[in-house]
Amino acid sequence: MRRLCNTYKSFLKAGIQSGMAYRVNFICFFIGESLYCIVMYFIWKAVFMSSGNGNFMGFNMVDITLYVFLSNLVGFLTSTDSTSSLALEIKDGSIIMRMIKPVNLNLSLLAFELGDKVMVITCTFIPVMIGVEIYRYITLGYIAFNIINFLLFIISVIFSYLIAFYLNLLFGYLAFFLMNIWGFNMLKGSLIKFFSGAIIPIAFFPEKIRVVFEQLPFASLVYTPTMVYMGKYSNNELLFVFAKQIVWLIVFILICRMVWYLAQKRLSSQGG
Amino acid sequence: MIRILKLYKIFIVQHLKKLMEYRVDFLTGAGSFFITQITNIVFISIIFNQIPSLNGYLYNEIIFIYGFSLLPKGFDHLFTDNLWIVGWYVVRKGDFDRYLTRPISPLFHTIVETIQFDALGEIAMGLILVIYSSIKLALHFTFINIVLLIIAIIFGALIFTAIKIACAALAFWIKQSGSILQIFYCTSDFARYPITIYNKVIRGIITYIIPFAFTAYYPANYILRNGKPLYCIGGVVLMSIILLSLSLIIWHKGINAYESAGS
Repeated sequence: MRRLCNTYKSFLKAGIQSGMAYRVNFICFFIGESLYCIVMYFIWKAVFMSSGNGNFMGFNMVDITLYVFLSNLVGFLTSTDSTSSLALEIKDGSIIMRMIKPVNLNLSLLAFELGDKVMVITCTFIPVMIGVEIYRYITLGYIAFNIINFLLFIISVIFSYLIAFYLNLLFGYLAFFLMNIWGFNMLKGSLIKFFSGAIIPIAFFPEKIRVVFEQLPFASLVYTPTMVYMGKYSNNELLFVFAKQIVWLIVFILICRMVWYLAQKRLSSQGG
Repeated sequence: MIRILKLYKIFIVQHLKKLMEYRVDFLTGAGSFFITQITNIVFISIIFNQIPSLNGYLYNEIIFIYGFSLLPKGFDHLFTDNLWIVGWYVVRKGDFDRYLTRPISPLFHTIVETIQFDALGEIAMGLILVIYSSIKLALHFTFINIVLLIIAIIFGALIFTAIKIACAALAFWIKQSGSILQIFYCTSDFARYPITIYNKVIRGIITYIIPFAFTAYYPANYILRNGKPLYCIGGVVLMSIILLSLSLIIWHKGINAYESAGS
């Protein structure tokens, strides 16, 4: 176990260094995301003004504001670069450097990314959370912060990140077959955004569609953690959504292992 | 001028050859832009299932504004996509030297080097939405309407181009400006919806400072709300000329400040 930790610690360190090196990119990316949240906030505000009553399908203005900022925060925290980092290594062949080392490919990529994310987490998570709670305090007049929901939220976000990581890794393996990874990446990004509830809460879809969307793995990425934090689930529902997250995570880990096993064979045949 | 057109023709022919070679790539790229827009349309539709109008704008009017916003954006994307590469990589890697040694304007050369056919997905979606919503709203276009809208699209695209040139040129000083370009480009998201939903500060910024409101809302208002053509269309022309002049000044200053990277 300890040896395992030491092995991946170096990947983690490299990740932290890379994260620090590209901090300007990160800040700009953060501003871009914030702008998107502001657009959404104003659209919803106009929707509530136009609807006449303070209720839109079970959400009030405070709920939806919370949803917009939290879902984007979750999307931001769980965003992963594993598709392109893997695709790039497959394309330029540097993946071979990972293969000749006695490490697990998926885990080494994961360790690197976690290091890369350390700064993102400290610089976005804390301020956004504090901002959201201040907003709730001002509009509601009392402290709405719930420590149990918060802890469950953290656990849910961790699962969500891991699911996102393995899901994206799967897409990365497509680099063996596709050329325009950039266009494909964008398509994948917007579809995941849509199905995960980052654009519109899944609760707002028509009943039949909603039931299907809630079972898909994408709902576990953004919708589930956000709703957990907002305290929208009963105890039984909580058990159910966490079970779904765990099942999807295991499914994706297994598929990734299988694909990697098959891809290795393909790679060796390419090398002749 | 004729020489430039001739050169451009040669470049376009090369791009078409490339397009034929990598058809699947093109389909993924264009398809992804197309589908991204569809998800946003679904979002608007779901909202309108619950409310009759958004700030006084009907569903089809919102669709018209949204669709129109894609046209200037799409045409700019089609022709000047290479500016992104300048902002992200070219200057940092010292590859910009290449453009300086050619007997044509470096800016012209940078721009014609890529034609991004992926943008056709965006343009197609924009056209579909504008035509669909016009039919639903039973809009009547006079000849003058159409001419003015085309002018608005051309100059609206130039607003995008000008902002991209200015941001990309920052790379000459700071080596990499792709992420700054990204922020400015993102503010165009505000312009897809009627600007009356925003507060005064944001309205002011997207009208007078980063004037993306002129790429969609004002031209659309000219049709939908009988807005004054002098302001709604004239504004687009004026803003794009001002911005383009500014960005060209920044670009030329940037080239003078440019020092090649490394060895």
